[in-house]
Amino acid sequence: MTTRLMAEGLFEGVDPPRLVGARCSGCHTVVFPRQDSCPRCADGTMSAHVLPVRGLVWSWTLQAFPPKPPYRPPSGGFQPYHVGYVDLGEVLVEARLEVPLREIRIGLPVRLTTMPAYHDEDGTEVLTFAFRQDPEEDR
Amino acid sequence: MTRARSDEVYVVGCGMHPFGRDETVTGMAMAERAVREALADAGVGWEDIGYAAGGSDVSGKPDTLVGRLGLTGVPFVNVQNGCATGASTVLAVANALRAGEASLGLAVGFDKHERGAFNVSAARYGLGDWYAESGMMLTTQFFALKTRRYLHEHGISERALAMVAARAFRNGAQHPMAWRRKPLTEQEILDSAEVSPPLTQYMFCSPGQGAAALVLALGDRAFDLCERPVRLASLALRSRRFGSFEVFSPWLPPGPHRSPSVDAAEAVFRRAGLRPADVRVAQLQDTDSGSELIHLAETGLCGHGEQEELLAAGDTDATGRIPVNTDGGCLAGGEPVGASGLRQFHEVVRQLQGRAPGAQVPGAPQVGFTHVYGAPGISACAVLTA
Repeated sequence: MTTRLMAEGLFEGVDPPRLVGARCSGCHTVVFPRQDSCPRCADGTMSAHVLPVRGLVWSWTLQAFPPKPPYRPPSGGFQPYHVGYVDLGEVLVEARLEVPLREIRIGLPVRLTTMPAYHDEDGTEVLTFAFRQDPEEDR
Repeated sequence: MTRARSDEVYVVGCGMHPFGRDETVTGMAMAERAVREALADAGVGWEDIGYAAGGSDVSGKPDTLVGRLGLTGVPFVNVQNGCATGASTVLAVANALRAGEASLGLAVGFDKHERGAFNVSAARYGLGDWYAESGMMLTTQFFALKTRRYLHEHGISERALAMVAARAFRNGAQHPMAWRRKPLTEQEILDSAEVSPPLTQYMFCSPGQGAAALVLALGDRAFDLCERPVRLASLALRSRRFGSFEVFSPWLPPGPHRSPSVDAAEAVFRRAGLRPADVRVAQLQDTDSGSELIHLAETGLCGHGEQEELLAAGDTDATGRIPVNTDGGCLAGGEPVGASGLRQFHEVVRQLQGRAPGAQVPGAPQVGFTHVYGAPGISACAVLTA
């Protein structure tokens, strides 16, 4: 089965992919995804910046009902899923959380991963980014 | 700041079409009814209005109302400013009156939305399709994420969220123009369908329909027309600054996250020369229970983390120390975006005049407050005095 990343501009590399944002040379603000101007200051220039892969769950919730289009459900149909913000230190990133309810909490160590989002019409599996519990941080 | 009475702007009439859902009436027809009611309340005719502003998010161009009300040639400004639409119409009219454009003006807001969560396009918010396609572009998620973090940081229990909604429905039950008129217990609210925890179905408002209108008058004209004009002491509108935690944010800076509500509230109290502690009736944006909790502190009505105690003590009830959303707010009224802010004015004006349609705050309240907050990071606050 062929796979592709959901939006190329969000990632750097493929094995494994890393998230790429941008960092301002003036005020060091980190944004995600990339943008060409700094939302904070007028002085700096923005350049590509690969984000850390490890972080802590900053907030989380469950998407309990199927969203309206343009949301695209997975091939097996909608299943409730967790989303949240992950604190990567220099920036908080919103992401799907591949963490079961019994484990999920603010402060949980998590690590970047990818997960199938949906399938294209030609059967290509489309991957999006997510965070899962960090095995190296397990007690 | 003190102004000469001749420079003060007063509300001298208000009108409202009931909120809720009624398939037989259009947004424009609701607006017409609200305007006619406001004019009758002020004892003036449409031909007396020298300046008008109207707002609607999805239900038509407000200035076409002149075709229903009368082609008098009145200057009519259309406003589309999200949740701050109503406050922006009041601001436009008040500024025009003070600038000498007219001595009598009208502000109207209306909307009629589809059922269910607001449908939004990623491109309209400058985001890639991936954001919506991967299931992260939902306002309900944002409110839940913001609320969970807030409860965590300030040690507030999820029961406080149910207390907010229970009070909203209690007040709505007494209000003839509210949509949700059935009181619900805290347990019923906690046990209602899961939407995005910690928020359940009955902790969210629904997009609905409605209209509200105000007649505003300058200086002595207000006292000629109205026995109890309500003074617009100040009104402030603010957009977000760097670091505010807003809906549809694929990323946030590490913090602190300062909301435009804080800026708007500080400005409005400073200009009015009053403090949050002076407020005796407040309308706060309550798209969901968590938002009201957060806004209570962001506007200065209480400290961060004090909300649960305040709610449990009944302080935010109509008979309490700081009555909040006495008409049931968005939770009981729904949120027709263009009308919602003017509903708040309608309620505060009627409270300060001692003729609230629903639960009247006892003891002749003298100072009222309104607050709206919406996407993508705007807030408007007003202070009104009897």
